Amino acid sequence: MNTKIKELRKERKISQEQLALAVGTTRQTITSIEVGKYTASLALAYKIARYFGLSIEEVFDFSEIDTEIEL
Amino acid sequence: MELFRKKLKTRIVLFCAVLLLFVAILLYNQFGANDAVKDSLAFSFQCGFSAAGSLALVFWLMKYRGALKDEAKLRLLYNEEKDERMSAIRAKAGIPMVVILSMMLVLGGMIIGYFNETVFVLLIGVALFQLLVSLGVKMYYKQRI
Repeated sequence: MNTKIKELRKERKISQEQLALAVGTTRQTITSIEVGKYTASLALAYKIARYFGLSIEEVFDFSEIDTEIEL
Repeated sequence: MELFRKKLKTRIVLFCAVLLLFVAILLYNQFGANDAVKDSLAFSFQCGFSAAGSLALVFWLMKYRGALKDEAKLRLLYNEEKDERMSAIRAKAGIPMVVILSMMLVLGGMIIGYFNETVFVLLIGVALFQLLVSLGVKMYYKQRI
């Protein structure tokens, strides 16, 4: 899943360690989420979005999942 | 965080108890065991296992004590243990069940080793194989996710 975490971090000059510490995870997990290897749980996605003061949809790209929904 | 602090204190007590057991085994092996027992493969393994286990326990005890004294280290350790990605990797590698089963096999092997060397080698071999497979799976998923 694509995310805007890296861009948001760069914008606000926040390191992976700082973000990890703030949301209760490890730097390795933040790296994995940024490169799209790991999809964060709803709780972690919520914490990351809250940390940046944004909604989950503004941080995480759900376009791939949107295509899977049959309306 | 207070709950985690209590958990660490409980772990320290348990680890100290096991460390004392290992030291007692080592002391008995050094001064109490007779020559016939000292010749067995199980005896050598028991000495090595107890010594390595003691060193590992001292390392963990120092890590936990350090974390209890320093709030930043405690927070880092908490995040490491509660990290959802590592929990997922551990689950895929069968941790902690593989480790528990392997330790049971090692313990059984160490006891049975004094009576039958073939069974001892088999049990230790199975335990080692299980641990290596689990470690391999863990390393694989650490790269993958």
